Amino acid sequence: MKRLLMTCAMSLLLVAGAQAAGFEARASQPAPELKARDLSGAPRTLADYRGKVVLLNFWASWCPPCLREMPSMERLRVKMAGRPLTIVALDSAETPEEVKAYLSRMKLGFPILLDPDGSNTRRWKVFALPTTFLLDAEGRIRYVLTGPTEWDEGEALRVIESLLAELPARAR
Amino acid sequence: MRFFGFLLLGVWACSSAARADMPDHLRFPATGTQLLLWVASERGRAEPELLAAKQLAAQGVEAWSLDPTSAYFLPQLPSSMDDVPVRDMADWLRAAQASGKRVAAVAVARAAVPLLRAAASLEPVERQRLCVVLLYPNLYMTAEPLAAPDYLDLGTLAGLQVRVLQPRRSAATPWLPGLLDHLALHGATVSAAVLESLREGYWARETPTEFEVAESRRMDAMLLRELNAWGCK
Repeated sequence: MKRLLMTCAMSLLLVAGAQAAGFEARASQPAPELKARDLSGAPRTLADYRGKVVLLNFWASWCPPCLREMPSMERLRVKMAGRPLTIVALDSAETPEEVKAYLSRMKLGFPILLDPDGSNTRRWKVFALPTTFLLDAEGRIRYVLTGPTEWDEGEALRVIESLLAELPARAR
Repeated sequence: MRFFGFLLLGVWACSSAARADMPDHLRFPATGTQLLLWVASERGRAEPELLAAKQLAAQGVEAWSLDPTSAYFLPQLPSSMDDVPVRDMADWLRAAQASGKRVAAVAVARAAVPLLRAAASLEPVERQRLCVVLLYPNLYMTAEPLAAPDYLDLGTLAGLQVRVLQPRRSAATPWLPGLLDHLALHGATVSAAVLESLREGYWARETPTEFEVAESRRMDAMLLRELNAWGCK
């Protein structure tokens, strides 16, 4: 009972904290279709990441707040190495050349997907950049954040840990 | 005698009020047959916007420049644009048309809302004589992730010719077709052009690219090019 109360209190704190940082909690909303190609031209869908918590970030190389948060996403990737978290950055409505020009200056270890015609941007109803969706291991949307954050610390990290904590102990 | 005194006072008061209803704006006179009305965005008017107005006047295109946040002492927020008096804007458009010149009105970002609402309040014949250019217009009522966008009701725009200029490097670019559909639903005749390699408000960016700096110095040329290519008469 004590443990249950503690868990409830922690969950409440997490939700309150997440909202304070701008994270909007969603009640396990089904995700729209993701249909994109990576930089090598290989097709990618959400099914490729099933079983892991997914941080799906919509960004563009011309968007200063997007670029500001990129290093923290890379630090998060390093910090979470070996854990079931996938970071995916989907570039919105730019050419592969524009994306590659940015990536030649900024080395990132997580997958970059392309959305040159903006069709994924429209399907996910993204109106501002950056916008980030946090999906649980079942592929359901649990949190949305419009605007940048520092992903490897504070509330962002706590929200991600809360989603990882839902996985069976051996998977975390 | 007293009656005529009151009558004269009434006429004077009405004419003052009519003048007071016109939003405070800057005029850059020119002798040509074109008049361009510039409505700055909710962020206020930046120096390159004034430069463009001066450059247009030097080429014979008269320019009237309105900064709604300054004219109405409004905070520099998108929602402020929804508070700009539509009747004042309509009076401003009528005053421009009364000059006898061909009038094109340009509105930036959320300033599209009071301009379109003013256009909707014009008589149909007045509206048909107006050309409206919208630079990356924000016509959303709500736009939340994962939900279809909800656009503002603008009133009837039948007969109005609208050209949208959308910078390529903008989160709104993928949504341009939906925006054009919304304007067409209100009766406007719409067309659009994408401004390549530019961001929204490129003339007032904190960290502009070299191309944006160059383009902000030749906004007059961009506007004339677009107006001529469009051919709104």
